Amino acid sequence: MSSQTTTAGSVDLRDVGLRFGAPEDGLQALDGLSLDVPAGSFTVIIGPNGCGKSTMLRLVAGLLQPSAGSVTVGDMPPRAGDGRVSLAFQQPRLVPWRSTLDNVAMPLELAGAGTPERRARALEALERVGLAAAAGLRPRELSGGMAQRAALARALIGDPPVLLLDEPFSALDALTRETFDAELQRLWLERRRTVILVTHSVAEAVALADRVVVLTPRPGRVARIVEVDLPRPRSAELLGDPRAAAVATEVREALVAGHAIELRPWAQQEGAA
Amino acid sequence: MRRIGAAIASLAAFLVLWKVATVIGGYPEFILPAPEQVAAEGANVIGSGVLWTHTATTLLEVVLGFSAGATAAVLTGIALGKSVLVERVLSPYIVAAQAIPILALAPLLHIWFGGGLLARVVICALIVFFPIAIATMVGIRSADPLLDEMLRSLGARPAQRTRLLEIPSALPVIFGGLRVGVTLAVIGAIVAEWTGATVGLGVLINIANQGLFNTSLMFVALATLAAIGLVFYGLVVSVERRLVSR
Repeated sequence: MSSQTTTAGSVDLRDVGLRFGAPEDGLQALDGLSLDVPAGSFTVIIGPNGCGKSTMLRLVAGLLQPSAGSVTVGDMPPRAGDGRVSLAFQQPRLVPWRSTLDNVAMPLELAGAGTPERRARALEALERVGLAAAAGLRPRELSGGMAQRAALARALIGDPPVLLLDEPFSALDALTRETFDAELQRLWLERRRTVILVTHSVAEAVALADRVVVLTPRPGRVARIVEVDLPRPRSAELLGDPRAAAVATEVREALVAGHAIELRPWAQQEGAA
Repeated sequence: MRRIGAAIASLAAFLVLWKVATVIGGYPEFILPAPEQVAAEGANVIGSGVLWTHTATTLLEVVLGFSAGATAAVLTGIALGKSVLVERVLSPYIVAAQAIPILALAPLLHIWFGGGLLARVVICALIVFFPIAIATMVGIRSADPLLDEMLRSLGARPAQRTRLLEIPSALPVIFGGLRVGVTLAVIGAIVAEWTGATVGLGVLINIANQGLFNTSLMFVALATLAAIGLVFYGLVVSVERRLVSR
């Protein structure tokens, strides 16, 4: 296990605010969000639709700059492409006219690596996600699950200290998704890089996380942090355990507390009928 | 093989219909010559080398004009597509230049560019420019914003995003513009020759029409022009097939 002992993989968000558009009629996506992610930990972010989960990941990836507060990865603000952070999106986002191998190799190509090194390392990354046989195929020839594996290989290829995953498995069927979660856990246990995963699924959060961070509805802020102190590797059976159920209940309660305000008008209508 | 067969069959049908029309109509040769009269005139001007002299000049104008116009158009189109500011500044001039009929502009260009080959190439390039520049601009903007964000997350610089995403995304549309442009190049060459030249297929048409009343010779020149258009169009399509792989 080559776990990095430095804090290169720590992520720190301090009083982060982010506003899209003009000050008077813009959209406040995040407001006063503070979160400390230790290096090598597996953090799951969960929260209602539109609470700024994806926005938060883009800040950590260096794709967006905060309007207030600060974001640091290791000891510096992140910059897109600095090799310390990689982001896997909800959609695979593969370039359609390139082979799977050339898609996976793209981060190395942009960094100026030579062709032999690119090919060797891209094949290695594809092997890690079980997709070596599809190296020569075009993205349109891949199933949804295979495409998402390729996207994961592209995120892993530079072996950055921080891996950001924005609901990468949400388009997959439930059973495939469980397999992917198990594989993701295995990949994480192999190298112990910092992972921040955004999801809507409480079960996925409990299966994967060291800590589950529940965000409030927009503007997003940390509502509650739930520690998940369950042994690893976690199997599907373990998730039937009363301890897992207790964690899931706690996460759900924190989510419902945030949702309650939005849901109230519906509840009143039902009561009146 | 079947495609060639179909093309030959349609050409044969066209010749038969043409012959039937001349027989039924009984037109004099200066109105509608029969196919064999045109063929005889063709053999005559090919044998004497006259056709080749004129064709070579027009070919040179088309090749140079199209190459220069298309290159300038693709580069301008990329700049237009990437920068709204560039589009705001340049597009009024580009549209105005396109809105003035090339036939009206050609005498001025002959004065400016010395009335020789250079002037004719410029006229040809100008008529080719607009459709290719606009197609390139639209194509560059059609790049998938999700893929663009993916590249930015990998730290791709603007030039790398242009090379790896925007140009490949734009290629099918750029080739649409090139297909239109290459046929316009032939028109440009003829307009340029009509407004100031002593040799070229446009000149040959004028000679056949005004000097000789030789309609068969006009048909030969027109058929040669059509053949030039078809060949260049076919070349563009075959390059497109090689480059646009989807």
